[in-house]
Amino acid sequence: MVNVTVDPLTRIEGHQRISTEVDANGVITDAQSSSLIFRGFERILQKQDPRDAAFLTQRICGVCPLAHGLAATNALDDLYGVADQVPKNALVMRNIFQGLNMVASHATHIYVLFGPDLANPAYRNVLTTLGDTGNAVWKEMVGRFAPISYKMDGVAIPAGSSYMAAIPEKKRLQEAIALIAGRMPGPSSLYPGGYTYPATVADITKLSTYYLQVMDFVSNHTLKVPFDTWIENTYKASSPQKAVSFVTEHLQGLVDKSTTSNDFSKDAGWGDVEFYAAFGSELVGETLLGLPASLKHDTIGGYKDPSKICFVAYGGYYKPKDGYDPKSPAGDRIFTSGVVSGKLEYQKFDSDKVTESTAHSFYQNSANDFAPAKGETVPFTDPDKIVFTGGSDSQYSWDKAPRYDGIPGEVGPLARMLNIKEPLVTGLAQAFNEKGYSAANVYTRMLARMQEMAILAYELLNWVTVDYTPGGKISVPIDLNAAKNNQGMGLWEAPRGALGHWISAGSDGKVTNYQCIVPGSWLMSPRDSNGIPGPLEQSLIGSKINPVGNVDYTNPVGIFHMGRSYDPCISCAVHTIDLTGKRAPNTLRIL
Amino acid sequence: MGKNQDVVEMSTGMKNFVRTLDSVDFLKMDRRTFMKAVGVLGASAFLGTYKTQIVDALEFAETKLVWLHGSECTGCSESLLNGGNPDVAQALTKLNVNLAFHETLCAQQGIWNDGELVNTSELNSEILLEELYKEGKYILVVEGSIPNGPDGSGRYLVIGNKTFKDTLGEAAKNAAAIVAVGTCAAYGGITSADSDVAKDTDYRGVAFAKTDKTKGMLQELGIDKPVINIPGCPAHPDWVLLTLGAVILGKIKVPDDLDAALDEYGRPKVFYPPDHTVHENCPRRGYYDRGEFDEQVGGEKCLWKLGCKAPYAHADCGIRRWNGSVSMCTQAGGPCINCVDPGWPDSSRPLYVEREDVGIAGANIDTVAKVAVGAAAVAAGVHAVRRMKGE
Repeated sequence: MVNVTVDPLTRIEGHQRISTEVDANGVITDAQSSSLIFRGFERILQKQDPRDAAFLTQRICGVCPLAHGLAATNALDDLYGVADQVPKNALVMRNIFQGLNMVASHATHIYVLFGPDLANPAYRNVLTTLGDTGNAVWKEMVGRFAPISYKMDGVAIPAGSSYMAAIPEKKRLQEAIALIAGRMPGPSSLYPGGYTYPATVADITKLSTYYLQVMDFVSNHTLKVPFDTWIENTYKASSPQKAVSFVTEHLQGLVDKSTTSNDFSKDAGWGDVEFYAAFGSELVGETLLGLPASLKHDTIGGYKDPSKICFVAYGGYYKPKDGYDPKSPAGDRIFTSGVVSGKLEYQKFDSDKVTESTAHSFYQNSANDFAPAKGETVPFTDPDKIVFTGGSDSQYSWDKAPRYDGIPGEVGPLARMLNIKEPLVTGLAQAFNEKGYSAANVYTRMLARMQEMAILAYELLNWVTVDYTPGGKISVPIDLNAAKNNQGMGLWEAPRGALGHWISAGSDGKVTNYQCIVPGSWLMSPRDSNGIPGPLEQSLIGSKINPVGNVDYTNPVGIFHMGRSYDPCISCAVHTIDLTGKRAPNTLRIL
Repeated sequence: MGKNQDVVEMSTGMKNFVRTLDSVDFLKMDRRTFMKAVGVLGASAFLGTYKTQIVDALEFAETKLVWLHGSECTGCSESLLNGGNPDVAQALTKLNVNLAFHETLCAQQGIWNDGELVNTSELNSEILLEELYKEGKYILVVEGSIPNGPDGSGRYLVIGNKTFKDTLGEAAKNAAAIVAVGTCAAYGGITSADSDVAKDTDYRGVAFAKTDKTKGMLQELGIDKPVINIPGCPAHPDWVLLTLGAVILGKIKVPDDLDAALDEYGRPKVFYPPDHTVHENCPRRGYYDRGEFDEQVGGEKCLWKLGCKAPYAHADCGIRRWNGSVSMCTQAGGPCINCVDPGWPDSSRPLYVEREDVGIAGANIDTVAKVAVGAAAVAAGVHAVRRMKGE
């Protein structure tokens, strides 16, 4: 047994450690996921103007500030009692700005954070033994996905074509957000009751231009099948089976064409999505398509016990009409709220079923389990107690452990796609389930993110060109007195998953309590009071540290993939704001 | 500078490039002229005019960057990736200015077997950092603040089995120059906001704790090295890239020129002008001068009554704008929050309430307004201020 620890897990947002015990076959037998930082600035919003929350909570995370800003704004709409009146135009602007940011965030994750591991020498060592096909595939992987400042065996490797092309696109998307929001990150355009900037016809034209430029990137690099064809036959497919058949037939066509030529280039029709969809999976690539090898990403990062996991979505993106329901009942949002069990059964989401445990976290609270609104955040103040090597029974992370009805929840693109019953992702999940794989694994998690990016690109065009009415009403006034002795709940979907903010105000209209539960906490969580590991920990245990090739404890690329496949955001995950005093009964926390 | 020029001239394939440089005389500018040019043209104009030159100039300077992340949100790195001219990828790909380490971008990660570092610096970030410290001569960029707590241990942030406090000390000792990017790294920023755990966490900027330059983490560690602060929440990518460019090109000599180039809070005066605020070039300035104010969001008038802090904000956002110069906070209808201030966010809260009494650094509203109105003070502006004060 070897202890294999990755610390820090880089190419994520924030600072994270993954510690594993690995047997002689390279299989992980135990794992701890530790967030390494306490940012805690308690009381920052307490006794303050509630409206500051939409600004200051954006500082929780610079990668997805808009999601925090929007969750806060939703909570404020509710607090001031105007959620049912927010003009359609304001909601559409919020959708556009969140949609652009989610696409940018996913693109960053796929190309800058996750992608570089596909150029890991572990794959070279396997693929280059497989003749011309293997060599051609390796050439594509390193040629597309190598990061900047990369070296192998002392030789500098140029950054990959997709990697380099993605950076200006990300910049372009952020620029599009700035056009309607002032700047990015850290924009100023969110306000309860509406939005601060009424986009002009000229802005809409510019947004459309940005859109076309981004779609050029998509068709040059990401997806070589025509975009409309893809959407029509996957997102709009009449059944999950039809969506999966469309993709596998499309891939089979590419494989048939390329097996003789050994040309797996973009020019030969292999966009990055097609490439990963075929070569990323053992089931799809080897079993279905007959490829000689795959990366076997469907064999790692899965859940071994479906009774100990679920897939949670709070619901994101407003329907294009005046007003919305802050409770986010099923069907109220474009991406609906909901919960899917580990066995892929559908349930309605009930926010009262969310709890948080600190049994294995660095806190000295009066109890281990709390409902969100009543939580405590009393950190260890003895430096000697902040120890990351105590094992699974110890307290080992700054992250808390959110649970839904006592069960750890995966949130994010995969959870959202399952909850909206997106045909392709749902079909793949069912297929993996039937063939004895975990429905959730590194491969489906990444494909769900890619598919969500495509869907958002499709929906964005509607929001920009159809749903927004230049010159229409952009805000309704709020009455600051309405906050007095009132509460607000803001449920939303961040790029990384379900995000909730809860606010209470006192008789003076100032904040008495503010609470967030964020995606990073769900995903990276340590064990809970029942000793159940968090989603990342569950996905590690029983998975191999090297999905292909020999066991190599010194290059555990499987751990890199599994950790990064969740797109972890640790600044979000660790407690950053706690609005009431230590040990005070009403604790406001922003995680 | 001479050395850089030699490098250019040695490269036969770059004759046109050298000619272009000669014609704009970019490299031959002395330091003062260079900084003046940046200041006069401001900003995006400068970057637009000298885009090619800056990209190429960055190419031949042999400099390593080590970019460390403390308690941060990655917003400043995100902002840097949004950089305009040159964009970061342009600057980095061809680089001899080499982004040797950046936690969000690097190929490496910390890899440990039974508590020992394994593999090589090509895959292991902690081995890479050790090698970089040993080689020295890098520019150290710090993003995020540094917890000194609990009890001075620094253990509220431990990365790769080391406190970030210790890592900063080691990295700083061997650095040729140190740049603190973002308000957190510069002054503590949002992590230093007033709270009842602030005493326990004891967050510090690299060389300042809020406005106090005796309480920066380097002072705590007993390291006496100059630091350039590029605050902002986030920092503007131009501020970062132009400052790095100026240091790399020798247009700002560290430490000789820093006293002249930086203000009392360690900020380059050229981007954070002591005698200029965001208010002066605000796109809504005309409404202010006429005394016309928005009281509900979504309008087009001056945002003063919605709490705008632009008259206190010493930054060039108004001329530079953000994200390819497409907009800025006040242009999009949100009040300026003066995120470049050493005391931010406490000095700007409540964000949506107009501030009539005390300005930053003890200046009262009249002083601030006069500074804001500046040399172009007009009766209407003064009148507007009086109206705001209810006189």
